[in-house]
Amino acid sequence: MVTIDLSKQSITEANELIRQCGERGEDVEVLNPDARHHIGVGLTQGIKVRVRGSAGYFCAGLTDGPHFEIDSNVGWGLADNMYQGSVVVGGNAGAIAGVAIRGAEVVVKGNVGSRAGQVMKAGTLCCAGNANFMAGYMMYGGRIIILGNSGEKVGEDMAAGEIFVGGDVQSLGSDASQVAPTAEDLKGIKEFLDKYGLKFNGTFKKIVNAGTKLRYKNPEPPRRNIPFFTFSGTTDYWNEKVQEDIYVKSQMGRYRIRGYGAARPLPHLTDIAFKRDLSQAGRDPDLLKRIKMRTTLGDKHGAKPLDLSMPVMIAPMSFGALSRSAKLALAIASRMSGIAENTGEGGMMDQQRAEADQLIFQCLAGRLGWNVHDMQRANGLEIYISQGAKPGLGGQLMAKKVTKELAAIRGIPEGIDLRSPSRHPDVLGADDLVIKVEEFREATGHRIPVSIKLGAGRVRDDIKIALKDTFDYVELDGLQGSTGAAGAEVLEHVGIPTLAAIQEALDALDEIGAAGQLPIVLMGGIKDGVDAAKALALGASAVAVGTSAIIAGGCIACMQCHIGNCVVGIATQDPEHEKRYNTPIEAVHIHHFLEAMRWQLAAITDGLGYSDVKQLSRDDLVATTPEAAKITGLPYAPEYRDPNLQLKAS
Amino acid sequence: MCGIAGIMYKTPGGGDTGKDLIDMLDGCQHRGPDSTGFALYGAGHDGELLLRFMIVTDDGGTASIDAIRKILGDYNCEILDEETEGGNYRVRVRFTGDLQKFAYALEHGATVISIGSSLEIIKDIGGAHDVDDVYHVARHTGTHGLGHVRLATESDVKPEAAHPFWATGFSDVAIVHNGQITNYWKMRRRLERKGFEFRTDNDSELIAVYLAEKMSHGVALKDALRDSIDDLDGTFSFLVSTKDEIGYAKDRLAVKPMVLYETDDMIAVASEEVSLNRLFPGKALNTMEPAPGTYNTWSRSTYPNNQ
Repeated sequence: MVTIDLSKQSITEANELIRQCGERGEDVEVLNPDARHHIGVGLTQGIKVRVRGSAGYFCAGLTDGPHFEIDSNVGWGLADNMYQGSVVVGGNAGAIAGVAIRGAEVVVKGNVGSRAGQVMKAGTLCCAGNANFMAGYMMYGGRIIILGNSGEKVGEDMAAGEIFVGGDVQSLGSDASQVAPTAEDLKGIKEFLDKYGLKFNGTFKKIVNAGTKLRYKNPEPPRRNIPFFTFSGTTDYWNEKVQEDIYVKSQMGRYRIRGYGAARPLPHLTDIAFKRDLSQAGRDPDLLKRIKMRTTLGDKHGAKPLDLSMPVMIAPMSFGALSRSAKLALAIASRMSGIAENTGEGGMMDQQRAEADQLIFQCLAGRLGWNVHDMQRANGLEIYISQGAKPGLGGQLMAKKVTKELAAIRGIPEGIDLRSPSRHPDVLGADDLVIKVEEFREATGHRIPVSIKLGAGRVRDDIKIALKDTFDYVELDGLQGSTGAAGAEVLEHVGIPTLAAIQEALDALDEIGAAGQLPIVLMGGIKDGVDAAKALALGASAVAVGTSAIIAGGCIACMQCHIGNCVVGIATQDPEHEKRYNTPIEAVHIHHFLEAMRWQLAAITDGLGYSDVKQLSRDDLVATTPEAAKITGLPYAPEYRDPNLQLKAS
Repeated sequence: MCGIAGIMYKTPGGGDTGKDLIDMLDGCQHRGPDSTGFALYGAGHDGELLLRFMIVTDDGGTASIDAIRKILGDYNCEILDEETEGGNYRVRVRFTGDLQKFAYALEHGATVISIGSSLEIIKDIGGAHDVDDVYHVARHTGTHGLGHVRLATESDVKPEAAHPFWATGFSDVAIVHNGQITNYWKMRRRLERKGFEFRTDNDSELIAVYLAEKMSHGVALKDALRDSIDDLDGTFSFLVSTKDEIGYAKDRLAVKPMVLYETDDMIAVASEEVSLNRLFPGKALNTMEPAPGTYNTWSRSTYPNNQ
């Protein structure tokens, strides 16, 4: 038994020691915890940790295997995302006790705060006292046992799992219903209570999902959709896309869900031009040898940074929205081009990890596939707040894509229309977010960069919060970004354009005297190296490509992404469709596209008389439309418009 | 985007308000690194007011202080003592008359931080210890107090935007708040129509004025807090203090944390238990978390032998 005194050691030192004890198989006793946060975070061995007093936020969070005993109280997020193992708390627990657990046994002898067991997937959360507001909120599986009263709205929007209440059911949440427990249920509960020495002589009420909200009622009518690349709202007002939209809604009686992004003309990087004539740029065959493009990202707080051969990354896209084969092609291409791939929501695959040299692991609100082991083998960690296509909203993954395999990885029921939560259980403000970031760092020994993905909405505030909450860099995603599925009106009208997003972000940092202190990776409609060069000149540190990488890898915009019937095997989980996808060939296609971007970036840099992409600056740019000039503050210079476009306009 | 703290001593004579609040706020400074503030209540004297102002110190504060003195003169105030400290001017005056009118006159000609017979608000940019270094917060003893740490998103982190907020026009009422009031403009316009003025666009100031307005009609603090849960939309955990009371209210969504600890000698409230534990190192505390949609108050006058 090793004793750690938190009045003498920092929590980071303590966690490092606890992990070392784990490796040696030695148990640990923690003295003077004084409600400090992050005790035991990131532990993956089956040792015992005894906390002599109260613990703060995220005690036993991001763990797999250990057994914790806390003598007194714990703060928010007890046993966050714990896989195997157990936690026994002698006193009360704060909000979201047992959040996102996936197998662990969590016992709180006192009361639990609000939203206990939020987005939990498996395991048991047991509260010997009373629960509070919305216990079991959005739970996907597992069991909650409450010996006292349930609190209001118990089981709110639970998708699966079981909640047993020994006291009063104060009120049922939306889509929850009360049923009688079976003999088997009661036997299981008794075994659990006996195991943890809890006595209970009353009767239990059982709460389960009522099944009214798991699926959309009316499917979209089968028809051949008009490809995404036909934009609505151009010169012809009642065009075929508008007609299609009205027709489909008339059949379904609800909002439409589709893939891709905003399909209307918006101010974009195309409305910006370089001041110099670049028509002769890129003639030197040795260009790539001369122009420096290597970019590192993420060492702001001492972590090992991403090391990119050029300031380009693959945008986050989930295994789920995309097929395994498509995700692998992206991973391979990222390696071939020396850049980083991003898991998106829905977990990390072993093959993907093996193929991508640099892989960012993304954490979303539903914690679908999120786990400590994959965190520790990632090259970057990213907290997703939202995305440009649907800022402020959760993701959608329609039933056909929620296959048995996918459901198992994510820890959710098979075949539901998955609407992942729009808010993190433990991030309800900048004040909570900073504690979350620290939890990630503690779980990975402060070795891995932590970034934040922001959909462009309230960029001016969000970017300042990102800076103050100590993120290493930001992935900023504008309205032109695409998605696998979202409400059509949301895609068209909710976000703000990529061009406005980057400008607001830069202005915000400038306002607080922090210009250049927070690297921004810009995404949302970056379609080639020219766009990338403009983004860098505006002030981004790198760009990320999603849609263009997918198109390079074979996407024809058949608009079946959300249904999961992608004809080329990209946005599907149907094995018959996925068979059509040739991963090695498409990986090379994506790689080729990335290399074309590299060439364009180098040629533009050279053509402007520089030797390093970092030298690109706003002074190299003009705006060719009044809108772009207004948004960016660049000088308005219509004479730089593409003459071909001018001809078309006249 | 904040951390809050409050303390009330049940013992005669009170306790080390300044020192204890510094410890508590230092314990949750991660919740808000940009500014820190304190509302401190000491022994007041009838007919006397303690005024604190922010001044422009470029000229040693002369112009600001002259402007304040002129208004004090206009309202027939007798200056009992005065001093400057950091960017503040602190003056004790003898005053009788319409406080709200007086307060608004001062607001129009100066930057008022607090007015009260026993309340003093001290707030500035920086952490708890930074503010203490300038304003000697630790020297303050008293009966009760509130504290606040803040993360700012405005362009310029100004001390005016720091908490606690004084309920402009009402003596001795202060508030600290964690959360966001989403029907801010609706509520503000309603109060503005009744003649109340607002100095900032900060939703916490609204809560202070909202509660003070109710209390000015004779509504007890506890009842005003009950009403606030119905009237205010959004997410909030806030603490309010008057001359001899502290109270809290929590929204029904239970989004913002608050932990409470009571002994025979004191009641302490904070966003996180780690702040409470700063007062009792090495001890596991029997704390409780107020339920969503609840409120409560504690009054010095209910504790025996403390007058």
